[in-house]
Amino acid sequence: MKFSFRRLRVLVQTLSFLFLLYLILQTAFPLEIKIPVDLYLRLSPFIGIISLFTQKEFILRMLPSFGVLFLVIILGNFFCGWFCPMGTAIDFFDRVLFREKKRKKPLDDQALRRARYGVFVFALAAGLMGWQLMFLLDPISLITRTLVIAVHPPAVYISNQLIPLLQKFLPENPLILSTSPLPVYKVNFLIFLFFVIILSLGVIRRRFWCRYLCPLGTLFSLTSRLRLFRRSVSAECTRCLKCVKECPVGAIPEEKPETYRQQDCLTCLRCTACPPKAVAFGLGMPRWQTAQGVSLSRRYLVGSIGLGLFSALAVKTNPLQTGSGRKNNRLIRPPGALAEEKFVSACTGCGECLKVCPNNALQATFLEAGLAGFYTPRLVPRIGYCEEYCNFCGRVCPTEAIRPLPVEEKRLVQMGVAHIDKTRCIAFEKDKICMVCNEQCSYHAIIGDERDDKKRPIVKEEICTGCGICENKCPVEGESAIIVYTTGVQKKVTPEPPEKA
Amino acid sequence: MKDLSKSKLTRRKFIRGAGASLVAANLLSPYSWFRPSKAFGATEPELIIAEKGTPTQLLKAAMSAFGGMGRVVKKGQRVVIKANIAWARTPDQACTNNPELLHALIKMCYEAGAKRVAVWDHTCDNYQFCFSRSGLKKVTQDAGADIFSGHGRNVYKVVEIPKGKALKTAEFIKDVLETDVLINFPIPKQHFATELTLGLKNMMGALWDMELLHKIDLHQCIADLNTLRKPDLVVVDAIRILTTNGPKGPGKTEDPNQVMISTDVVAVDAYGAGLFKNPKTGNPYKPAEVRFIKNAYDLGLGEINLSKVRMKKVQGA
Repeated sequence: MKFSFRRLRVLVQTLSFLFLLYLILQTAFPLEIKIPVDLYLRLSPFIGIISLFTQKEFILRMLPSFGVLFLVIILGNFFCGWFCPMGTAIDFFDRVLFREKKRKKPLDDQALRRARYGVFVFALAAGLMGWQLMFLLDPISLITRTLVIAVHPPAVYISNQLIPLLQKFLPENPLILSTSPLPVYKVNFLIFLFFVIILSLGVIRRRFWCRYLCPLGTLFSLTSRLRLFRRSVSAECTRCLKCVKECPVGAIPEEKPETYRQQDCLTCLRCTACPPKAVAFGLGMPRWQTAQGVSLSRRYLVGSIGLGLFSALAVKTNPLQTGSGRKNNRLIRPPGALAEEKFVSACTGCGECLKVCPNNALQATFLEAGLAGFYTPRLVPRIGYCEEYCNFCGRVCPTEAIRPLPVEEKRLVQMGVAHIDKTRCIAFEKDKICMVCNEQCSYHAIIGDERDDKKRPIVKEEICTGCGICENKCPVEGESAIIVYTTGVQKKVTPEPPEKA
Repeated sequence: MKDLSKSKLTRRKFIRGAGASLVAANLLSPYSWFRPSKAFGATEPELIIAEKGTPTQLLKAAMSAFGGMGRVVKKGQRVVIKANIAWARTPDQACTNNPELLHALIKMCYEAGAKRVAVWDHTCDNYQFCFSRSGLKKVTQDAGADIFSGHGRNVYKVVEIPKGKALKTAEFIKDVLETDVLINFPIPKQHFATELTLGLKNMMGALWDMELLHKIDLHQCIADLNTLRKPDLVVVDAIRILTTNGPKGPGKTEDPNQVMISTDVVAVDAYGAGLFKNPKTGNPYKPAEVRFIKNAYDLGLGEINLSKVRMKKVQGA
């Protein structure tokens, strides 16, 4: 096999994507891996910058992203071309699903190329007002979320179907294969659909998302305009236009192939496969000047900023965000989450916490948290409860929207308080001794009523943390007879002093 | 007659040969010497209580008084230990089995010739946290056994309970049901809903839907599901017991430092109940005061009357 940059890049991209898959699979118990499992999210400077805006403070975990931004100034937009897992997925499906011939229709993409700058400015302006659009637009968050919510559960489902079949071919003992609990997410289809739409845009142009929409790519474009690693074309160029065809993002204009738009170039080096070997890359002086910029008029920029600011205001004045009596008191946030308003502005909706939660307790919201809180995590106790000695969600959150608390501190965070529905509880309604909630409670917050002998449960609200194990295990059909409601603000409970023998 | 005389088998030779073969058969099978007479064992269950010593010493002392693990575990058999790993608690909180004792028990099974030992429980908390915090996963694997949790539904089997009064059908862990040897390995604890949890109650951890039993009638269901498979051996881990806030704890603990061994789960529970004080009467629990023991006795699962049990106390150290 002859060496070519194309092959090398495919190899690096595949390895990078597999590494992301590996990290996502490692985002689970016992979480002892030395590399941070949210590594890719920490590499996205778009998340880094918007988090700076929304949280108004620097998050140490996002430090690597600024390193990437610095490298982009030297090497150009290499991240998109070589490492971005979203770009890899798009490249793969562009090749598998669509034929290059069909994309031949000429397209004046000036307006589209301008669009991504508009989107980027819009996102920045909205971010300044505390409304982050990362949940929608950041490619790393998007691919992580898609893998966690839309790809992982079907994979588990298939393996669970295969395990009993596989068991037949194995000696019964000692090899006992057990199916895994199936992770479930309410918003899975929406997220799958959004991903499919992004991929299908590839029918118009290769890497449509990257060229015309991606805000992370836009940020890289801005910095890589000053790149030091530059392309040069010697006089041997025969204008065969092979490089124009090779370029995956159309950064080489057909009419002037000796130039290129350095802001769009992914440094993929495919154009070096030049028949007369006229194309070379080397270090050079940075130049702001480019072959073909986008004309961002003042009107366009001001319009984008204005739209961003106003949209953020509109979202923030939505009743669900203002907490004006329409508050959703079943919206239980993970333990250690920032206060609601700060939380929705910090959470990127990447889905790391959903994946790591050992009991599938964390679910992505749709509209429950208002327009600002799409895909943010909430505790749904009927699906899963918060494990007492687990602090994983805080440990994997890239933006520290869920603070990393030590286990001993986390287990005492009050997320909500349980309430008994006496019209449905077996102990009240049918006079039976049940007490599942009492035996499951880790904090002795549910005690038996001592006024009679019927062992009816009572909740001691001051020590209930709202972990939801009672709601989860309640044997009543359908909706539980004991339900956790939020208290609004998370606080620390003081446990009863442990009894000594 | 003619043939016999030709082979020169005289009466004397015949007797000598027959005697020798009997002796040889006895010598070759290593367990037949100390096997008590079947008739005697069937009428009067025995209960061995070991006191004083480390967990390993207690188990060894109790086991040698019982007649060795070879009484229940034969060469090449699969052994399942139904342990109590239901909660993500540390060993000193006495909500899960004592790790050292489990280790010794597994080792003993292997010494008796077990092919493979498996430890099972359907945990209440997340199984990964239960296994790691209780320290039981580590000791099980150190002893060369497998540890399994009933979190996957494919390991269960739907079974009818013909003798059941309240529970007619259940989803039971297949391995627990079908193994050659089943060892019930409970830890006695106070229990809010059923007063106590002991050997009979321990078998609830082999069910898929445990919460369902609370809905029907917990005490009767516990007795019913024990009719499915009688344990071949019950080893009670009463080294440290939980006396309040059971079954999950943490609560007050006491250290009886005992290991009980029996083949009769009702007898062992009847004795184990006496370790706890009944808050209503202020005296130790009488077996019949714990309803599931009474119900199990009524179903003919064992002997509730301790005066009819051959009890033997031994010292571990």
